[in-house]
Amino acid sequence: MITREEIIQKTNEALKKEFEFKEEQLIPTAKLKDDLGLDSLDAVDMVVVLEQQFGVTLRQGYDLRTVVTLNDLYNFIETLAHAHSK
Amino acid sequence: MDDSNAVVITGMGAVSPYGFGVQPLWEGLLQGRTCMHTVAELEALPLVRTKVAATVPAADYSFIPRKYRRTMSRMGLYAYCAAQEALRQAGYEAAPDKLGFFMGSTLNSISVWMELAQYIQGTRLDLVKTSDFLQIMNHSPLAGVCQALKINGPAMGGSEACSTGLMNIGLGFLAVRSGLVNQALCGGTEEYHPLFSACFDIMQATSTHSNGNPAAACRPFDASRTGLVVAEGCGLVFLESKKSALARHAPILAEVLGFYANTETENMAYPSAGTLQECMQGALAATGVRAEEVDLLNAHATGTIAGDIAETQAAAAVFGSGLSVNSLKGHIGHTMGASGSLESIACVRMLAEQTVLPTQNLDQLDTRCAPLQYVTQSEQRPVHIILKNSFAIGGNNCSLLLRRPL
Repeated sequence: MITREEIIQKTNEALKKEFEFKEEQLIPTAKLKDDLGLDSLDAVDMVVVLEQQFGVTLRQGYDLRTVVTLNDLYNFIETLAHAHSK
Repeated sequence: MDDSNAVVITGMGAVSPYGFGVQPLWEGLLQGRTCMHTVAELEALPLVRTKVAATVPAADYSFIPRKYRRTMSRMGLYAYCAAQEALRQAGYEAAPDKLGFFMGSTLNSISVWMELAQYIQGTRLDLVKTSDFLQIMNHSPLAGVCQALKINGPAMGGSEACSTGLMNIGLGFLAVRSGLVNQALCGGTEEYHPLFSACFDIMQATSTHSNGNPAAACRPFDASRTGLVVAEGCGLVFLESKKSALARHAPILAEVLGFYANTETENMAYPSAGTLQECMQGALAATGVRAEEVDLLNAHATGTIAGDIAETQAAAAVFGSGLSVNSLKGHIGHTMGASGSLESIACVRMLAEQTVLPTQNLDQLDTRCAPLQYVTQSEQRPVHIILKNSFAIGGNNCSLLLRRPL
């Protein structure tokens, strides 16, 4: 099963590539919208790249609106990954 | 003369195969450098006979904020650079309120479309991102530059293939003269893809006999020409009412006297001399300029056999054999939707510098071209009015008159 560290590492890798973030910006408490500047279009594209990165479907059946911070995003993916592995 | 309604150019921006900026464009033209080079993708296609193109040098666009860059294909990036340069020359760091923007292209980004086509063929539409779609709308470059530079007036994307750039200057002229806007940015943008070369090759319209010597590939009016060389770039001019320019003490680079446009209805790909003649006559009639007042025709002349013959026959019928004529496509190739506006920028510089550029690679005139005064050496002489032609595949013709500031 994928570990939380692996989830963080793979998520950050995808976000850095897609949104040109620097490593130091990606602190767990960073808010996707207010701190990292991601808007509604970015949020859609983020789902696409994370789906590719993790090989899972994020866009159906889950409420991304609950994801505010980067840590929320790690939790979201971790929950999903564990659900998939059961 | 009452010029209270005059429309003038106060800024220009260019991205061309010479690089970024109006100055590199002008210097390259003045030095007689040609931009054609061999294209590896074309060399790999045995049935496509042309192997050369003229492309914009690779560049780092990371200075454009990602938020705006994400929706820009290459032609959008070119447009951003040209728009920023034109605004700055016109005296603005940020777009003035209610600025109009008229710009189009022949096609949208084929490169981005090709990526999307792979998703469709692989039934992986889940890989499509919003930024992909926002790069391939017909008006994506227009919309992207509006977002990035906060251009909030009317933005319209006229698209008429090779006439796009000039037609949009015409649209901008109408918008300013009618009072719809006080100022307008206008022109065309285009990005190269080998598909352009392949499609024009199928139509027997490309340069095929100089693949080993790309610099000699595009030869407007020359007896040995075989066709055009596809190129890319963006040219934008900042238009405004003369009243506005004078009120804000903006240097006037040239005056747009007016234009005319018409449409060939007999054939999509072959222009008739009669229709082109009517287009040029229409421009004279619209502006009140007499034929003998035109100091130079900057021709569309792409180096195709049929097009160059028809244009020179039409010009001779309107102006007689004393008309001075040149073409810039031997230098930079055919920048398609950008050609009319990029070449208009060169015309404005010719007016400013009182310098007539020669036609590159015109060594021996095709005797089927009408007798005119073909410029083959750079000339320093008085030039007050230039007629600029752009004729598109599809039959959309445009002739526009530019005048040196009085």
